[in-house]
Amino acid sequence: MTFESHGHVVPALDRVSLDVAAGEFLCIVGPSGSGKSTLLRVLAGLHRQSAGEVRIEAEHPGAPLTAMVFQEHALLPWRTVLDNVTFGLENRGVARAERDARAGDMLALVGLTRFARHYPHQLSGGMKQRVGIARALATDPEVLLMDEPLAALDAQTRTIMQEELLRIWATLGKTVIYVTHSLEEALLLGDRVVLLTARPGRVSRVFPVDLGRPRGLEIRASPAYGALLEKLWSELRDEVVRAMSEERSADAG
Amino acid sequence: MALAATRRVPLGLLVPAALLALWELCARTAVLSPRYFPPPTAIGAVLVERLASGDLGGELLVTLTRMMLGFAVAAVLAVPLGLLMGMVRPVRDAVEPYVAFIFPVPKIALLPFLLILLGVGEPAFVLTGATSAFFQIVISTMGGVQAIDPRLLEVGRNYGAHGARLFRKVILPAALPSIFTGLRLGLGLALVAIVAVEFIAAKSGLGHLVYRHWQMLSTPEMYAAFALVGALGLALTRGLSALQDRVLAWQEDTGSL
Amino acid sequence: MTRARRWFAEHWLAVASPAAVLLGWEWASAAGLLREAFFPRPSTVLVHLERLLADGTLWNHASVTLARIGWAFALAAVLGVAVGLAMGLWRRLRESLDPVFAVIYPIPSILFLPLVSFLVPAGEVVAVLTTAVTSFFLIAFTTTHGVRQIEPRVVEAAVHFGARGVRLFTTVLLPGALPFIFTGLRLGLGYALIVVVAVEIVAASRGLGALLWLSWQVLKVEDMYATFLVIALLGAVLSYGLAALRTRLLPWVQDVAER
Repeated sequence: MTFESHGHVVPALDRVSLDVAAGEFLCIVGPSGSGKSTLLRVLAGLHRQSAGEVRIEAEHPGAPLTAMVFQEHALLPWRTVLDNVTFGLENRGVARAERDARAGDMLALVGLTRFARHYPHQLSGGMKQRVGIARALATDPEVLLMDEPLAALDAQTRTIMQEELLRIWATLGKTVIYVTHSLEEALLLGDRVVLLTARPGRVSRVFPVDLGRPRGLEIRASPAYGALLEKLWSELRDEVVRAMSEERSADAG
Repeated sequence: MALAATRRVPLGLLVPAALLALWELCARTAVLSPRYFPPPTAIGAVLVERLASGDLGGELLVTLTRMMLGFAVAAVLAVPLGLLMGMVRPVRDAVEPYVAFIFPVPKIALLPFLLILLGVGEPAFVLTGATSAFFQIVISTMGGVQAIDPRLLEVGRNYGAHGARLFRKVILPAALPSIFTGLRLGLGLALVAIVAVEFIAAKSGLGHLVYRHWQMLSTPEMYAAFALVGALGLALTRGLSALQDRVLAWQEDTGSL
Repeated sequence: MTRARRWFAEHWLAVASPAAVLLGWEWASAAGLLREAFFPRPSTVLVHLERLLADGTLWNHASVTLARIGWAFALAAVLGVAVGLAMGLWRRLRESLDPVFAVIYPIPSILFLPLVSFLVPAGEVVAVLTTAVTSFFLIAFTTTHGVRQIEPRVVEAAVHFGARGVRLFTTVLLPGALPFIFTGLRLGLGYALIVVVAVEIVAASRGLGALLWLSWQVLKVEDMYATFLVIALLGAVLSYGLAALRTRLLPWVQDVAER
């Protein structure tokens, strides 16, 4: 998959060009305002980019090109968990029996089978996010997009969810593009990490993450991880500082 | 950005203006019977004339006075009662059946009873308006107290506020938005009730004017009174919402309908 | 059975208080402390109520009132929801109609009686239309608000997962607005009762409002109380009955203090 994109009226992104391999877990990290979310939304088709193109090689006809997991889960409150997961499939005209079966599989994968008939408001934040993941996976997209899906969770739930994500991804092997603020998270989850600059976002550097697969949380204790973290942070730090000073001057002005 | 703003304002005024113009046209060309639907210009003329002569102003004052009196009586009684009901469970249990029973009843249905008790006159009219407002204010106030986040109360007590102090410093401010909303709605209800009462049973006031001119088929005067009621209602709802926003600036949403 | 008993134990005052008042009233009225002409004994009122039921008067009037409410509400509901949805979805429409609505809505419904009587030949239609007016605006307002308060993120996600056009409407916009639409319908129904009683007092010879007023004019005080009781009952059923339906129809809505 390739994408190139250009910013909008207010340039959010400036010449981003990337190639993503099938089955890869790509993480995108950048300071606030670097346009990470915008990039993802362009990929999802939620935003029209002002220039450039997105090309996704469809290997499975009939499957959607992308499916997104939103930061604030964005579930439909009036639908049960199961109906939320089947939503995408419903819209694609999949028959009931098949959709329910598929949704059932996804719910089992995220560990929420028991809550199929619950309503979103009865679930915790972490659980709601898992439903969001199940919903995206249910449609079997070519590329799974994740927009800071764990940002709204508390630290402990977040760690558990990171473990879950590693497990799910190891099982399914999907191509994932994952946006996050957290360098630690990006290194933990990704095969490659893309650093964006402050606004307008450009690709600053792309780092391969050679930490081996399959991976578990214990990788965080390894010296290789620590070294990578240091290296990436020193690159990222400048951009973050630049973004913050821009904010400050915007406030003052 | 500037372009969008200038397009937005006219549309809001354009439609009413267009409707009025259409009405004017239909009335003048007798598509609409000018007897029953006099042209807006005729209505406007009457409105101005009667306002200038003080007639309309006088009736407006009568209606306003009744409304304010009714509202005041209701508020003075309802807010304390609502607070009490919210804070003291036995009081709530004892009083709530009556409130729940009367609340869904059209208060206009109380009018005949008040007329018997107090005769046909101001007290009966004002009280009918008062009852309309009363129940709304009680319910809103009580709801406001009940909805207070228990953690706020905990924090208050933690910092040494008890009894009257807790009330003044924590309970009252926390319930204030709901109380205010109740008062606002109550005032609107009082107006509606008073005008309805005037229409039915009074010999003065804007509501009565509409009725009288309806019976006499002096339609320009009728519409003029009608328009004045509308303006009054609009001014009240908008004005009070704005006031609420100002006074309770720390609240996010006044929930105004 | 124990649940009822537990409720009673906690809320005995709620039952005892009205019971005490009624008993006190009965006694005071019989003993002459309350003027029986103004405050007839509850037992007498009940006797009169029974009589009104038996000779069919009550049903004659009540059925007329119910029919008017039914028609008026149906009209207000169908039009109100339709217009409200349209206004919620199309900004231009909303901006055009908002000022008109805002001016008309606060006007006491009874004042529309003359207008309607000019437009429509005398008869049931006048009563029904007048009753429908404020309810219509109420329902339209709440419906519009219901559509607009749907979280844009939710709509975005739904669109992303393939919901467009009619599907978006039926799976997202309509259910999203439903709690508010329901509240509007409840309030609209309550308002219809209020207006219909007022209309009947002014301009009708049949209906509960008319019966109330008639009873007053001939000073049949017991009948007044009896009629009032029926009106109150009707009000309670309309108001609380619909509220009870809410949890059944809208299982996903967490309770919001609303009345």
